[in-house]
Amino acid sequence: MVWFKNIFNGTASRVCAAILGSLLATVVLTIGITMLWPLGDTIEKVFAGGVFFFVIWAGLFYWAILSKSGARAWVKVLGVFLPMLLIDVYLLRF
Amino acid sequence: MDNSTHKTLYATHGWVGIISGILLFVVVFSGIPALFENEMEYWQSPSLTQLPKSQAFELDSVMQTAAKNDFIFEEIFISPADEIRSHHILWSYLKETDKYETLYLAAHNNEVITPGNSELAHILTELHTSLHLPSPYGSYIIGVAGLAMLLAIIAGIFIHTKWRKEFVMLREKRSWRLLLTDQHKLIGLWSLPFTFILAFTGTILGLLGLISPILAFAAFNGDVEKATQAILGPRAQITGEALPSYSLNALQAQYQKDNPNIQVDLIAISGLQKSATAQDKVAEQSSENPVLLSDSGGIIKFSGMHGTALNSLQATTYQLISGEQIHHANFFGNGPFQRIFAAVVPLHYVFYGGGWLKLFYALSALAVCGLIVSGNMLWLTRRGLNERHWLGRSTLGVCAGLVFATFSVLASSMWLQKSGAEQHQLEEGIFWGSWLLCIVSALIFPKGFAISHWLLRGSALLGVLTIVGDGVMNQRWPWNSEGWVLFIHLGLVLFSATLLLVDYLLPHKISQKKSTEKIATEELAKAA
Repeated sequence: MVWFKNIFNGTASRVCAAILGSLLATVVLTIGITMLWPLGDTIEKVFAGGVFFFVIWAGLFYWAILSKSGARAWVKVLGVFLPMLLIDVYLLRF
Repeated sequence: MDNSTHKTLYATHGWVGIISGILLFVVVFSGIPALFENEMEYWQSPSLTQLPKSQAFELDSVMQTAAKNDFIFEEIFISPADEIRSHHILWSYLKETDKYETLYLAAHNNEVITPGNSELAHILTELHTSLHLPSPYGSYIIGVAGLAMLLAIIAGIFIHTKWRKEFVMLREKRSWRLLLTDQHKLIGLWSLPFTFILAFTGTILGLLGLISPILAFAAFNGDVEKATQAILGPRAQITGEALPSYSLNALQAQYQKDNPNIQVDLIAISGLQKSATAQDKVAEQSSENPVLLSDSGGIIKFSGMHGTALNSLQATTYQLISGEQIHHANFFGNGPFQRIFAAVVPLHYVFYGGGWLKLFYALSALAVCGLIVSGNMLWLTRRGLNERHWLGRSTLGVCAGLVFATFSVLASSMWLQKSGAEQHQLEEGIFWGSWLLCIVSALIFPKGFAISHWLLRGSALLGVLTIVGDGVMNQRWPWNSEGWVLFIHLGLVLFSATLLLVDYLLPHKISQKKSTEKIATEELAKAA
């Protein structure tokens, strides 16, 4: 398990979290923002999601890459991804 | 900012730049000809530049001419004459043959004209929009490169804390490494607003296709087509029932009346037909003007740009048989995010502000190219490596090679004017062949600086040869040209002079002062 811990805490893991993890978190966040955006009509919501997508991806990328370890980076992006996923599922179902 | 944060941002800036740098150079440099696509398209066909100046446009008359020449398809796009060109362009994409059919009409009399065989503008522009890769993968790759540029810019802003000093610092006589460092920071700071706008808008344009399903999933239950129609207007529902068409001129006048500040730059007509019945055909043969019919579900969409405002999404759709307006898209004043999206295309391709702003964009894009190359060289120098490293060779081969290939195709497009239908194949062969030759030369021959000098001089010479070729083949010399032809000649002279200046300033070799990672890290710690 030590080797797994090393890999998980390593720089490669941190970079993966910053690129892929933040992309997944951005997708669920964008869906949430598009559905919840309070101002304007449907088209404004779509464009709000479109603009926020890139801003959030860049923001989450740096939030993850500046972590002390790969594990912390994954905790950060999953900390955004999982709650937002639940909110999205709730909004899409109800 | 603590030391480790600074170090991580510094490393991220470097690695993102190294991984995406060469691709970014290709995208940014090819963006310069893409900015002038319309101007180049006009210049590359001498027959088009000889037309009398006119922007006259009557849609009925244009479509009558199209019908007479059997140019009636399910969907036709029309780009009317504008400030640059005095001809209308009609085109249609045929799914069966996977080809575009195109018709050129002179604006002053609506007669069919034959353009030249050069594809110069398309060769250079498609490199910027799709890297000549199949759609949509090319634009996705470019979008990811844009995102990388955005990430590098963000890190660059935070790691350069002494920006007031760096705005004016250029220690050109100390060492190669310091010169590269100062030049990188100087260009980076001065071009920051431009680079940021370019990266942000380019990322949106490149990756819009990728994020559209996500946005449609959230707002339209995953129906991308429904989302597209809600934003850009409905598509024609072809029923097969042919009815007389509403006056196209009346619809054109209606659009202009409703949108007085807009100059129509694209019209899309779906469902227009020529006379279908035998009786109509007899009438058509006896008449000078063919009878135009429309499918009962046919539509026409007028789109235009504000010449002075950042707005590209202003379009009105009408029914072809009744003239009834069925959709109007105007995102100016409809919320901040619609405004942002409406500004993306004009901001990226300078569809506002005129020719001088385009020139400013072109010069800024050149500065960004310098920024990318100096970034790569700096990365090598800080690790004690030199231009013989594979990254140095690749940077030289791809980047300087692209400059050389661009000038090669510019010159050849003029000298090959009389080569007939094969001209565009020859142009493509010269473009890709010369680029490949440069890459192979850079990878094989060890003297990188010597190759750089030869490529810079060669490109400048080709720039001059382009003007001479235009004079010899088309009798268009700078002293007897006017308008955009003259501007292009001046642009070529300016560009060639810039290349010769870079050739003069670039050293022939650098003193190999040992510069290791350790020294770089120590300096970084000191700076922090």
